[in-house]
Amino acid sequence: MSIRSPAMRCGALLAIMLAALAMSALCVQAAEPSRKAPTVINPPPTAQDWADLGKLPDWSGVWNPKITDQDAQVATNPPPWNEQAARKVAQMFAEEKAGRPRLIFSGCLPEAHPSWMLITHNAMEILFTPGRVTLLGEADGNRLRRIYTDGRSHPDIHDPTFHGHSIGHWEGETLVVDTVDILPQVPLAVNEAVGLPNNGDMHVVERIHLADKDILHDDLEIVAPKILTAPWKTTRIFFRQRARKFDIVEGVCVQGDLAERVAPDGDHIFVPVEKTIWGNIVAPK
Amino acid sequence: MLQLLRAAGAIAACGLVIGLSTAAAHHSATMFDFSRTLTITGTVVELRWVNPHVSLSINGALKEGEEPELWVLEMTSPGNLVRAGGWRRDAVKPGDKVEVDFFPLRDAERRGGTLKKLTVAATGEVFTANLREQEKPGLE
Repeated sequence: MSIRSPAMRCGALLAIMLAALAMSALCVQAAEPSRKAPTVINPPPTAQDWADLGKLPDWSGVWNPKITDQDAQVATNPPPWNEQAARKVAQMFAEEKAGRPRLIFSGCLPEAHPSWMLITHNAMEILFTPGRVTLLGEADGNRLRRIYTDGRSHPDIHDPTFHGHSIGHWEGETLVVDTVDILPQVPLAVNEAVGLPNNGDMHVVERIHLADKDILHDDLEIVAPKILTAPWKTTRIFFRQRARKFDIVEGVCVQGDLAERVAPDGDHIFVPVEKTIWGNIVAPK
Repeated sequence: MLQLLRAAGAIAACGLVIGLSTAAAHHSATMFDFSRTLTITGTVVELRWVNPHVSLSINGALKEGEEPELWVLEMTSPGNLVRAGGWRRDAVKPGDKVEVDFFPLRDAERRGGTLKKLTVAATGEVFTANLREQEKPGLE
């Protein structure tokens, strides 16, 4: 068949173009499955993955913070606050000394990262599973850190949280942890009454390792450019009381606000308790 | 209308303040006067074995012969009390006669404080509440 008339030529050209389009669409379709295949970020662990956990150092048991060292570092190793932050901190110390301690964790908000590591008075446990290290705190249902050790990077999309996004890797028997995306409201605290919102861009690098059989050190370097003039380095100490076999107990902070009572209809209920503005419980006036 | 909005705002602000003032939290202990130790003798009303702070309600008097009143004494968390002071959930029960040493609130108008040492009259058992005690070697 010959194509003679302009109309026929036009029609043929259109047909060729449509065919080309259809071909290219097919090609795209064929390429799509591999391009859009979901990324498996939590692959099922293999037997080898579980076996490899046995090569890691023994961090089992219950770890308690060395609070006397936390106390000492308030004076011996203060953060390099910038001028504005230093003024606020001085005011908070003065209020605390005067018996009016600021409730910087009011509303049972988590101490969050890195303040949990810095000032907690409660125990924690550390769990190893393939691709992850998990820190679980006592005395607060919301003390939980997930540290991904599966080689992933920090996400491209920022989604700030109280404990941030943590990725870790092992250098020998030291776990190196890098944490970003911490909520700007999260305080950088030196004790339970003195701490300031980090105001954003906080970055924490930790080297966690056994310093002795039952002593764990967390060497932290905290970069908080909105409130500090330089990175702040501090080591926090945790100790293990192996022989007494203490278990972590469940703790829900807000339970401290509530007393357990039985209603007239027999239901077991919680009712508010009276507290002072400093957060402690008192007898009703 | 503006006045109504302002009033509503004021009420909301008050609500917020009240909410904050009663909110639980991990708090500092400087509201207590650690330079003074008071002793109260009385009867246990309730031991609230909860995080983040255990508290003991006791109906007692500071001096012999005084009319008993309700006092509430705060402590550290259950886990820390177990480790540091040998406590357990049933260390004391309502009705137990006890003697308690405590650091009182600086605000002398409130009947509260933080417990230092409790002695159960019937058994002589002693429980302390210094969470830093658990750092001492030999506790294992």
